[in-house]
Amino acid sequence: MKSALKLFSLLFMFVAFIACSDDEDDVPDLVAIEANTASNIPAPQTGGQGEPVGGPFTKFSFETGTTTNSETDWDIAFRGTSIAVNGGSTTGTTDEPERNGNAGAAIENSTFSEVASASGLTFTQDTDGAFAVPAGSDNGWYNYNPATFTITPIPGKILVIRTHDGKYAKIEILSYYRDAPAQPDPMSDESRVYTFKYVYNPNEGETSLVE
Amino acid sequence: MSLNKNNITFYFLLFFCALSVAQEQVENKNDSILIENLDEVIVTATRTIRQLSSLPLPVTLIGKEQLQRTGVTRLNEILNEQTGIIMTPDATTGGGEGVQIQGIASDYILVLIDGVPVVGRSSGNLDLSRFAIGNIKQIEVVKGPSSSLFGSEALGGVINIITEKPTSENITGQVSHRAATFNNQNTNLSLNQRTKEIGYSIFADRLSTDGYDLTPTQDGQTVNPFLNYTFNGRIFFDVSKNINVFASGRYFFQEFDVTPSTSEEKDANAQLRINHNVSKKTNLQYEFYYTNYITDEQVIDPIDDELLIANDFNQKLFRPEIRFNHSFNPNNTLTIGGGYNFENLERSLFAETITFNSQYVFAQYDFKPIEKLNIITGARFDNHSEYNAQLSPKISAKYDISHSFAVKASVGSGFKAPDFRQLYLDFTNATGGGYSVFGKEVETVGIQRLEENGEIATLQVEPSQLGESLNAESSVGYNFGFAYKKGKLSSELNFFRNDFKNLIDTRILAAKTNGQNVFGYINRESVYTQGLELDLKYKLFKTLNLSTGYQLLFAFDKDKENALDNGEVFARDPETLETIRLSRSDYFGLENRSRHTFNFKAFYDIPKWNANANLRITYRSRFGLTDRNGNDLLDDFDNSFVDGYALVNMAFGKTFLKHYSLQLGVNNLLDFKGNNPLAAQDSEVLINPGIQLFTKLNIQF
Repeated sequence: MKSALKLFSLLFMFVAFIACSDDEDDVPDLVAIEANTASNIPAPQTGGQGEPVGGPFTKFSFETGTTTNSETDWDIAFRGTSIAVNGGSTTGTTDEPERNGNAGAAIENSTFSEVASASGLTFTQDTDGAFAVPAGSDNGWYNYNPATFTITPIPGKILVIRTHDGKYAKIEILSYYRDAPAQPDPMSDESRVYTFKYVYNPNEGETSLVE
Repeated sequence: MSLNKNNITFYFLLFFCALSVAQEQVENKNDSILIENLDEVIVTATRTIRQLSSLPLPVTLIGKEQLQRTGVTRLNEILNEQTGIIMTPDATTGGGEGVQIQGIASDYILVLIDGVPVVGRSSGNLDLSRFAIGNIKQIEVVKGPSSSLFGSEALGGVINIITEKPTSENITGQVSHRAATFNNQNTNLSLNQRTKEIGYSIFADRLSTDGYDLTPTQDGQTVNPFLNYTFNGRIFFDVSKNINVFASGRYFFQEFDVTPSTSEEKDANAQLRINHNVSKKTNLQYEFYYTNYITDEQVIDPIDDELLIANDFNQKLFRPEIRFNHSFNPNNTLTIGGGYNFENLERSLFAETITFNSQYVFAQYDFKPIEKLNIITGARFDNHSEYNAQLSPKISAKYDISHSFAVKASVGSGFKAPDFRQLYLDFTNATGGGYSVFGKEVETVGIQRLEENGEIATLQVEPSQLGESLNAESSVGYNFGFAYKKGKLSSELNFFRNDFKNLIDTRILAAKTNGQNVFGYINRESVYTQGLELDLKYKLFKTLNLSTGYQLLFAFDKDKENALDNGEVFARDPETLETIRLSRSDYFGLENRSRHTFNFKAFYDIPKWNANANLRITYRSRFGLTDRNGNDLLDDFDNSFVDGYALVNMAFGKTFLKHYSLQLGVNNLLDFKGNNPLAAQDSEVLINPGIQLFTKLNIQF
């Protein structure tokens, strides 16, 4: 009786194992998830310092890993310290791109590697009057230090992005200054130039964000 | 240059003095300067006259001799040489200097002149270089919370400047001129006389300097040339055997040379005190105090003469106070007092004139239940028109284990009322990008106004939270120490801990459509400072006094410590720029705090030559200026640390022909300049302007 049980359970495990491996064989090849760094993405703006902010956003696509001029195939966009997502509606400032995708953003407080998955997160979209990544110092992704006049990405703020076509990526902004100097000098280093690290999962429906 | 003018003043004064000296050839030599009191007494700790060594509290006393021999002219310079007291620069260059006691910033330290409070703070900081020390008898510093006697602002301690009283029947006085580096010219004159019933004291001081620059590679100066005057007149009048009257008026005027802009500062105080000794045991004091502090600042565009910023500030305080002292016996004294503060402020950044009213009563009982034990216990109740009432109790005790060894302990509470700015500021920075700041009382209206103008993008707080009243910031301070005094050695060791809560911080109320924020105030932070202070004084020879002091300090924000423990604080690796999680050990602590501060002083008399010399060294260890990596706390990855440094000061004085004394000195002998880590690339910002020489001629008559 005892040995019969043993045999039975072995058999079950075997079948289960076979079934599993079958499953994996059935799935179409997942595209490998890669970590990338986007360097020196310019994000110019006009106005500021009390004047109305304007100028076109620099749009970025995770799929191509580059900036894009496409009106539709973009995920996030940068202008000065503002970050727009291709989802929701325009916030009301001038020269904003039209939102025609389903992108959204969630901000996690963690290290980059610890953000392992996009599942279970709440994604917000741009709405009239507010960006999904909140504007202003200490509200969203950056801190402005009035003693040193420096914009610093807040360490530990990881942006998880749902792309315009429903895929997931996480990004960590490393610098707001050209060539990402460790200690930027706001007087001599060019600002409004983003460098960020990102992981993009190109597989439809997959939420994993680790390589 | 203004040198010529100075010379004229100087010669005029010289002539005047010579005249006075000539006049009093017949004077009998009742010199009031060289006779040091048999025992040092102070009034700040208890508001009664108490022998310094008998007090159960940590107290620093800076006597006249030290003030004179060091050749310093302003309050900030001499405080910096005392144990546990440091003058810290603002994070930004050009900002003021603030005093720090037991790691507690200048916002929380009350400054008094002859027992009445000085007003006029800029962003919470009181500029101590405003106070000339030419006519000062002594400076008393009581460390730890003293709100049980003095009310608001006395959290970290109380600095009381005690002016000199006339003692001689003849006209006595002195005139001096001190010239120093940066064309720093200081002239002062004092006259004193005391007859049986009436005494008076007059003091005038003029200081001018070309200022100095800490940013050699940039346009403009860190400290612009300025000129200031201090006048102080006091009258002492014995109306009858039991009633005496003291009246004092002080006026300070300062002007910065920032052409075409203007920057002026005025500070006036008037004090009237009537002292009535009702009986041998009972004494009543009636005090009336009025002070007015004014700044007028106009920033004018040098090219088109357009007025860019007008910043006017006009603060007034009127305060009647009554105190009653009753001594049941020489060791048991009861003090009861009460008063009323009428305060108002007009400021260009406020919508209207703001008025505060507060009433207070306090009581203190100073007694000896047994011969070796002294206990002082007291409390004060402050009722205020704008914020919650405060009760501030305090108890302190000293036990004499032996004649030379004593234990002291005290626990007290302190508070600081929300200031005018935190309640009524209504400010939108037009030049700095358009952010707005609202005081608590005006934030609801302010946000409403911005909303109506369509300037608000998102509100970051619940609308119901707007306008919730602000509480006073408060602290509890603990001091525990030992005093040992035997023969040539006197030593004190004190452990301290100060727990602050409800500290007022700024928070973001809303994001504006222009990408800027609207800031408001909130009670949020809780911080602590703790450490120890050690003071040693040793009289090596009759002519050589040595002293040394050390402070160990830990100052941290409790909320930040919790966030670190929860793994919620991150930094960026300077090499890879990747986020790393910080632990407690990476947290350096509060800004501007040095873990170690040290001082050494040697005062040497050379009677044969009628001369004296002194050497004073102060050291402070590494400290950080500001967070730089965006995580809102000072950690080891922030490149904002100033390395530890020492300042060495020396002075040499010699008296000629009894009345004339000449002093030569050097401050910052090693020419320390330091390096401000916040300086932009390829430019240099100094911490200290470097070596400063001075010479001073004093004529006593």
